[in-house]
Amino acid sequence: MQNVAVLYLDEDDRKVWEGALAGVPDLVGMTAGDDPATPLQRLRKMRSTLRVVALSARLFPGRHPELVPMLREACPGAELLLISCDGSFPPLRPLFADQIRHLTITPAKEPPNREELSAVISMLVERRPWEIAPCLKVGTPVHSYRLNSSEDKELLIARLEGVLAGEGEEMELFRQKGALLADELLENAMYNAPRGSHGALLFIKGERRAMLPHEQIVFSFGFDGKTLALKLTDSWGSLEPDQVLGYLARNEEQSPMSDDAGGRGLFIIWRFLDRFHVHVEPGQRTTVGGQLQLSSQLEPGSPRGFHITKHREEQAA
Amino acid sequence: MSDLLQDLRDNLAEHDYFALEGTIDAHSEGFLMEIPGKVRTARVRFDFSRAGRINSMGIALLLRCFKEIRGKAEIRLEGLSQMHSMLFKMTGVFLLATPVEQRCDRREGAA
Repeated sequence: MQNVAVLYLDEDDRKVWEGALAGVPDLVGMTAGDDPATPLQRLRKMRSTLRVVALSARLFPGRHPELVPMLREACPGAELLLISCDGSFPPLRPLFADQIRHLTITPAKEPPNREELSAVISMLVERRPWEIAPCLKVGTPVHSYRLNSSEDKELLIARLEGVLAGEGEEMELFRQKGALLADELLENAMYNAPRGSHGALLFIKGERRAMLPHEQIVFSFGFDGKTLALKLTDSWGSLEPDQVLGYLARNEEQSPMSDDAGGRGLFIIWRFLDRFHVHVEPGQRTTVGGQLQLSSQLEPGSPRGFHITKHREEQAA
Repeated sequence: MSDLLQDLRDNLAEHDYFALEGTIDAHSEGFLMEIPGKVRTARVRFDFSRAGRINSMGIALLLRCFKEIRGKAEIRLEGLSQMHSMLFKMTGVFLLATPVEQRCDRREGAA
């Protein structure tokens, strides 16, 4: 029973990935080459069990820009994951247009990481939302704080900085990245997430505010000496997956960024993390977070991988 | 030698100087929005050596401030940390303002 399929451009492309994908159970690989009709036919036969279709970025969007709608028709229940190597980043707009919500990027000059890729595929197969603990060494404490008011923001940032203690330039830069990520996550939850019945913002950025009676904003993080994982959960669930992709694409294309561009905070979070995760339970909860390596091999400030999921779609799948 | 002379000319040239301190965020709006109205010369220097964290709202305010100034003066940025530089590069701030290494004497200061 195959529940994961991988589409490569050709045999050379397959060789790039086969080591990293060797440990993934129930996986079938196929090359799409110049004519994707044959692999699409094979996928159609597996549609009842397929949970994930991974697609090499050498194939899409450049080589076969029309491939995604055909894949969705062939296996409508499968989650699509775009896998990119050599640090190359596919243009966001086609991904946005085709609603590709999962992307992994392997740093330049490094082979794809088996452990990371397996973890991502397993998360998608099981339709599990991303969590902090599996990103960290076993036994690493995860700190969790519930906000009472906007006045807590600097205190929580200071606590995170305290966990990222250490000397040297690399550690200092890492601490600054952590502080900025915490700032953006907290501001986003306190001022962008709360919406009125017609979607209007309830609070102005920077204003002092207490949490509303039923509002919950929880900031969590852990650091195991190499990886920082952090997430922010709010009880609004007001963010839409397409909206997130739209924010990333729009801010990516604007140069310089418009001074009133929406989603700038999310764009900055995405660019500073090694991998960016958003999980939305509409009207219930939004979780934004991700992980960052102390010695990240990704080019500073370059586009990153992302995983954007929506709870109700997963339930239905 | 010519670089040194250019540096000397740059430092002697009349310019406006603004120093930014601490976190730059939504609370910096009043300060940053006043700056374009204070610009009197064709060159403006912004000193970030005492600036700390700059969040997305701070970036928005800097972009707005620099866009207002750009039509009437050249903008130079000094004292940038590695973090500031990464952030300014990814948000396009460097398309409006040029980073420089050297420090200069201030004509007009604001903190």
